Amino acid sequence: MTQRSRFDGWLEVATRGIAQRTSRRSFLAKLGMVMTGVTALPLLPVRRGALAGVAEANETKGVDDPNACEYWKYCAIDGFLCACCGGTSSSCPPGTTPSPITWIGTCQNPSDGRDYIVSYNDCCGKTSCGNCFCNRNERERPLYRLSLNNDANWCMANDNPNYHCSVSAILGVAEK
Amino acid sequence: MLTVACPKSIPTPSYFVAKTKPDYPVALSYDTLKPSLGATDLYGRPLQQSLSWRSGDRMRIVQSLFAATVMWVLAASVSAEIKPPLAAEQVSVNPLPPRGPHWVYIFDEALNNEIDSRVILFDADSYRTLGQIDSGYWANIALSPDGKTTAVVTTYWSRGSRGLRTDLIELTDNTTLSVRDEIVLQPKRLQGPITAFNAGFSPDQALIYVANLTPASSITPVDLRQKIVLPEIDTDGCVLAIVTGPRQVSSLCESGRLLSVNLDDAGHETARVLSEPFFDIDKDPIFVQGAQHGAQLWFVSFLGDLYGVNLTTGKAAFDTVWSLVSAGLRGQWRPGGTQMIAVQPHTQRLYVAMHKGGEGSHKIGGSEVWAFDLQTHRRVGRFSIPAKLGAVGALQVSTDADPRLYVATDRSNFLVLDPVSGRILHVEPKIAQSPWYLFNP
Repeated sequence: MTQRSRFDGWLEVATRGIAQRTSRRSFLAKLGMVMTGVTALPLLPVRRGALAGVAEANETKGVDDPNACEYWKYCAIDGFLCACCGGTSSSCPPGTTPSPITWIGTCQNPSDGRDYIVSYNDCCGKTSCGNCFCNRNERERPLYRLSLNNDANWCMANDNPNYHCSVSAILGVAEK
Repeated sequence: MLTVACPKSIPTPSYFVAKTKPDYPVALSYDTLKPSLGATDLYGRPLQQSLSWRSGDRMRIVQSLFAATVMWVLAASVSAEIKPPLAAEQVSVNPLPPRGPHWVYIFDEALNNEIDSRVILFDADSYRTLGQIDSGYWANIALSPDGKTTAVVTTYWSRGSRGLRTDLIELTDNTTLSVRDEIVLQPKRLQGPITAFNAGFSPDQALIYVANLTPASSITPVDLRQKIVLPEIDTDGCVLAIVTGPRQVSSLCESGRLLSVNLDDAGHETARVLSEPFFDIDKDPIFVQGAQHGAQLWFVSFLGDLYGVNLTTGKAAFDTVWSLVSAGLRGQWRPGGTQMIAVQPHTQRLYVAMHKGGEGSHKIGGSEVWAFDLQTHRRVGRFSIPAKLGAVGALQVSTDADPRLYVATDRSNFLVLDPVSGRILHVEPKIAQSPWYLFNP
């Protein structure tokens, strides 16, 4: 017969202690609560609105990842990241058309400390990409300041104004 | 008659038995259920191998289960004999009930499939969804002053998301939720943030004003009686179509002014007035999502100042600006969301979605709703919304004498609250994909 290890001994003491302190029914009740919680987790409501501050892009990545809402160039973007839709941070997905008109933001690149002026173009001609929604609004302004507004459909002047996703392109370094 | 003997061994379904006997024995007994010698299962294995579990406790359990099943079948057959059968049904259309004081319309932008936005009609008394109005792509919505008509200003393409584009106004009869009329527009309507000012009826319901943005801004008046589009109003870069008089429509300008344009009955411009700047577009801009009752408008700024504008005389008069946030909290607590203010006209209560945040947080929904007395400027309520329900994206209040406060959260929950105590009376989960705007008569 195999000799009992110290772990076995500890486990026996622990389980006997639990058995003395709790009834089988209470244990089953607590186990049931835990299992119910685990089962309910996937049913919790999933954010779908367009309010700001929470990114559906992968939040574990950071300011250098074009697939992440935290990417430095996206400081005033509002929409689906084209990088998650078949494009890149500055190119539209195949089969779509860039908007010729844009809104403008100023974002700081943490890797060189410079402020860059970026244009946010929408990519147009297909219905919503629906992937990697991202809404950040640093220095974004209401509709009456149109060039600083990210709520308008910037596909408005395209032949097909269907909004698909948004890109961010560097225009140059902002002068102090 | 069915005679059943409780087996001492496991009954073998007839499909296990080699076809030497009928598939459906007239009377079941142990003998007829016993496996035949040399019989095989579906895979040709001797049945003795597949029945190796017949003995001991398992047998007693199986016997008990068998008996329980027989009892259940017998009981079900007896009860079926007592209850009369259900009557045949005829498919029909459920009519809308008479309009209730707490009907609320919930605009769903359907962000993940924007060509399919819609408006949901919900009754906050019975807590039931009553129906839906389809609203196409990135729609603008207006409710007629008498509450009987919903105007949807929208865009369709002949092939779903492509093909021939048609911009139009669809007029829905709110007693049936059926589209009763439509008027085709030039393809230039505003596609932007949903507000109460993207389109609006004149007070006499003879006209609808439609805001345009191409990005040149203008307003298209539409004569609803003749169903014709009237001459376009150039708004000189000012945006939105805020109906501020019997034949007056106004716009917000980049200079911080209000442009008001008067028309004659034929829809021709007769006068225009540009106000003095009434807010600072750089230091503290106002949200375009304002509230309105009659000729009185309210706008709130990013930092929480309230701007009242009155156009009773036809010319904009500005109320004294006051702050919703104490000096110590200014810049820390802010308004935010997609529809952040609402006003109850009888109680003169203002409701604002508020959150803690800094620059760039103006679209974050409220963790609280703050209630103010518009006469005294005092805060009279501070309603915390449980985080598990989401943040307040849009809010609205009914206009009757026994009002309800409505909240749509960024987790798609729709809440009905007591506007005095802030008590949550009802939570309707998953009301819509993107419930960004609430409206009611």
